[in-house]
Amino acid sequence: MTGIRWGYAINQWKPQFDDFVRREQHERALKTISIAGFEGVELTAGTGRWEPLGNPQQLAANFGSFAGFREFLAGCGVPAVSSFHYDPQQRSMEHLTGPLSPLAEADVPAVVARAVWFAEALTQLGGSVLVVRAAPSAGDDEPLDDAALHRLAACWQTVGRATLEHGVRTALHVDFLSALRSGDALDRLLERTEPDLVGLALDTGELTVAGIDPLSIVERHGDRIRYVRFKDALAVDEAEEYRQPHAEYAVRQRGGTREIPRWFGEPGIDGGLVDFPAVTRALLAARYSGWIVFASDPSPHPAASALLGGYVMQRELRPIANGR
Amino acid sequence: MSERRIKWSYMDHWRSNGPAGPVDQWHSHRTMSAFLKQIKAVGFDAIDTFDFRLWQMYGDYGGPAGYQQMVQDHGLERIVNTFHAADYDLRDYAPHVPETHERILEDFRVTMGHWSVIQLDNIIVMPATLYYDMEPVTADKLKITAELWNQVGEITAGYGVRLTCHHEFFCGIQSEPDIDTFYAYTDPRYVSLFVDTAQHCIASVDPVALYRRHAHRVSGFHFKDTRDVATGDDHRHRPDSEIMAPTTGKWFYEMGTPHGLVDFEAMMTAVRDNEYRGWISVEHDKANKDGGDFSEATAVARWYAANVLEEIYR
Repeated sequence: MTGIRWGYAINQWKPQFDDFVRREQHERALKTISIAGFEGVELTAGTGRWEPLGNPQQLAANFGSFAGFREFLAGCGVPAVSSFHYDPQQRSMEHLTGPLSPLAEADVPAVVARAVWFAEALTQLGGSVLVVRAAPSAGDDEPLDDAALHRLAACWQTVGRATLEHGVRTALHVDFLSALRSGDALDRLLERTEPDLVGLALDTGELTVAGIDPLSIVERHGDRIRYVRFKDALAVDEAEEYRQPHAEYAVRQRGGTREIPRWFGEPGIDGGLVDFPAVTRALLAARYSGWIVFASDPSPHPAASALLGGYVMQRELRPIANGR
Repeated sequence: MSERRIKWSYMDHWRSNGPAGPVDQWHSHRTMSAFLKQIKAVGFDAIDTFDFRLWQMYGDYGGPAGYQQMVQDHGLERIVNTFHAADYDLRDYAPHVPETHERILEDFRVTMGHWSVIQLDNIIVMPATLYYDMEPVTADKLKITAELWNQVGEITAGYGVRLTCHHEFFCGIQSEPDIDTFYAYTDPRYVSLFVDTAQHCIASVDPVALYRRHAHRVSGFHFKDTRDVATGDDHRHRPDSEIMAPTTGKWFYEMGTPHGLVDFEAMMTAVRDNEYRGWISVEHDKANKDGGDFSEATAVARWYAANVLEEIYR
């Protein structure tokens, strides 16, 4: 047996801001996650009253307290929240703040405070990792020079230290639009941060779309990985469209000039580019222990994605993880 | 771990969304594989199927044995039951019309020959025509019908398969007194009862009481839910009651649905009290109506079985 726990990211059920807001929808999704064999759920940070699972304030408003939410989860057969995924660039209606940048020194106190807000919730929801969007999109900021990497490192060091005081590790997530995708920026950022304070979230799908082999990241930084998200990739951004401004909409959502209908899918999807057994074996070789969270991001058929992912987890990957 | 007395099979209604619109799992090997993976992922042990799929089994999998191998390659045990969905017609296929019996008997001789390459538990039938084709339902008609199924059951028993009757709310034998009379006329060696919790509930028959009364004749179950009881002429609506009754657009729901009328905990308690051992089939046909989703419905139903019913009896 290993220390690997299997979770599922619930964000695939919420393609638009006004979807997936009702309690009965959450109940059916969580029961689906549970019966597919997953023991944890990843929440995505969100803001406002149409994000009932998006942050501590909305959880309290909808479930009375963290204990109330945990009771709801348990009633659906899901023992724990694995993590929150937090992007500082998302505005917060709860705090009346706009986008924050980890590159802006003036924003760091607010980023830290927000991270602690989520970490405090995680401690009461069974979670142990705060996944953070490590850097803004490449097309929306200057290239990351040494000074910028220094500021990024300082921000995440401070965040990591603050969340660790609550027993929650901070893990940097690199998406395919990230400024950290270029050259050796990620390597240099990790060099500038302390392993005890700042870890890495390995997202197989984002890296593959970015043209980066996730196995190479496990090989180079296996000892820094604190969180893993297993999602498949259906296309690669070979033209590096991620460098254009506003790529979040034009490239991620609209699919770029090729209008890729779907960048990502659940592990095992037809046409998927990620070799999950190989990544699982590499993680084991790197002595990874912790959550592996399946995702689809999003899915046109969320329940089917969860069940198909569950099949791959139960029949292919968990046996590898368990040494069978 | 103690021996399991109950195993769960999935009655294979399914739709998924293909590029050109909804398809069923028989569309291709790929869609069949995706279906079987999802059934396995939620913890079902096996599947049930329909006779009318035999030709697709031959065409795509080499026959019932080849298809069962496909099922087993996905980690499921086998095919447990088949539903013999016949086209009832007063002219040539009507259990209460003796002149049609020889055709029906020959149909079963041929059908069982096809299935003889694998071992089924049950072949399930709706034991009567549509209600409006049988009414008035008289004792004579019930007796003629029973005599037919006794003969059919003798044929299927020759293959080690039980002939078992599934009483749709819109078929000729759906009321409590008619069901009781029918089983009084049939031979317990050759004719069994297959309790569909929703169908009985829709017909205002308490499925738990029915099961307790006939437990010694019961060879299986469809555990599915409903939110509506048939009213007025729902059960005899022409041309069709199941998806065209004006009162109700969607009769069937998965176990665990809100506002369901079936008391599954009482049902499972009765199953336990009667020391039933074997298969319970889960069904939610037409789950995709009104925006429903088969994957989600199947997950919710299996979740309910695992988290509620197995606490009562497993």
